[in-house]
Amino acid sequence: MNPDEERHVCRCEEVSEREIREAVKAGARTVTEIKRWTRAGMGICQGRSCRRLVERILCEELGVSPATLEPPTTRPPIRPVSIRAVCREEE
Amino acid sequence: MALKTDAVVLGAGVNGLAIAYELCRRGKSVILADASVMGAGASGSCDDMILLQSKKPGILLEMTFRSLELFKALTGDLPCDIEFETRGGTILIEDAAQLAVMEDFVASQKRSGLAVEIIDAARLRRLQPHVSAHVIASTYSADDSQVNPMQLMKGFMLGAQAKGLRYLSRTRPEAIERRAGHWSLRMTGGESIEAEVVVNATGAYANSVCRLLGFELPIAPRKGQVLVTEQLPALGETNVWSAQYIVSKLKPELAKSSAPGAAGAAARFGLGFAFTGTHNGNYLIGSTREDAGFDKATDPDALSLIAAQARKFFPVIAQAQVIRSFAGLRPSTFDGMPFLGEVPDRPGFFMAAGHEGDGIAMAPITGRFVADLACGKTPEFDATPFRVERAMRPQGAAHGA
Repeated sequence: MNPDEERHVCRCEEVSEREIREAVKAGARTVTEIKRWTRAGMGICQGRSCRRLVERILCEELGVSPATLEPPTTRPPIRPVSIRAVCREEE
Repeated sequence: MALKTDAVVLGAGVNGLAIAYELCRRGKSVILADASVMGAGASGSCDDMILLQSKKPGILLEMTFRSLELFKALTGDLPCDIEFETRGGTILIEDAAQLAVMEDFVASQKRSGLAVEIIDAARLRRLQPHVSAHVIASTYSADDSQVNPMQLMKGFMLGAQAKGLRYLSRTRPEAIERRAGHWSLRMTGGESIEAEVVVNATGAYANSVCRLLGFELPIAPRKGQVLVTEQLPALGETNVWSAQYIVSKLKPELAKSSAPGAAGAAARFGLGFAFTGTHNGNYLIGSTREDAGFDKATDPDALSLIAAQARKFFPVIAQAQVIRSFAGLRPSTFDGMPFLGEVPDRPGFFMAAGHEGDGIAMAPITGRFVADLACGKTPEFDATPFRVERAMRPQGAAHGA
């Protein structure tokens, strides 16, 4: 095992490079599948820090170019906002 | 060259995976195929609750009791942690009218063997210290539980793969024919499959497969929207939802409202409050019940109502950060019961779809039930209420009311 692969790629959810490579070996072909399998990108930053790293690992493992990857799903809110801000009425 | 197999399961959601796992355990060769990927539908877009209290007394409650036992066994049997926990559940009651309805509902559940009671506001506050002062009472059952749906699916997948499961992603049948005593499936991914048994576990999309065989069932997508918060310290012990949610689920006619403004919008979205702290510390706040076709987008109006409702019940949550929202399409049926059974005149073709919001909770028993049927064994519960015959129509025929 390569000790460098124990480095966290997703810092919010503490997912290592090794776990991401394992998800690809288990059949993941998209960032969204890696997210569901490992939680990478499910934390407070919603993948803004780690998405490109995850994509790079995915491309390395699959031997494809980043341009061919299916884009990940994004859902509102794009940045964290408080429950108070999500409420439309009052204030 | 056709792939030959004992069984092909269509749909890698939680029920398709549970059925594939159980068929593999029974020594069958199994192919699991999904039009997209594992958990891409309702099973990956839901909350983590295994609710006994939300079930109408009857066979669904009895099967959920059995599922709960099976979850405990799966915790040891599956090759990854499914994060199963039993924290109990509370249904918040806001006024005397709700209290009267919930007293009757709790009494009927107790007669069916569920350990549930009404607790007063003081006891509720020991379980949920941050609950709003306007809540007058609550139900409580110590048995309501939680599981991580993604981990559960991963566990079934890895467990079944260890027993020989073949998993095909991004492929769905474009033709299914009966040929020389088996089913022949031509798949969009280019594969052709020959199988003794076909199981349609494609949830809200079940009719797209049924139509290939010339019939339809009253299964329709029902959208539920959910907010996800950042990870927070635990706010309380139990799963929480509102009596109003139970009314929305079990007695929609009482929840329908022509009231203007927020109350009208809440009724239009089928709003009910569901609040659960996940194993990872994120809170999931839901939810709606909308008949909105196959659109999975979240809606700012609905999310605003969900957030306002969370503030009403837990004022402290106003400060919490929302990091994501999502919507899932629950497979709803005309009578609230899933279709589990062999399709008439299509020997070896089985339905396993239509659990609406009970799909995660009932997956372990559904896996065993459908695997038993597919192996020609008598399942451990009466199959009559789930029969396909109760509502099957030729393709294109209008469904009755």
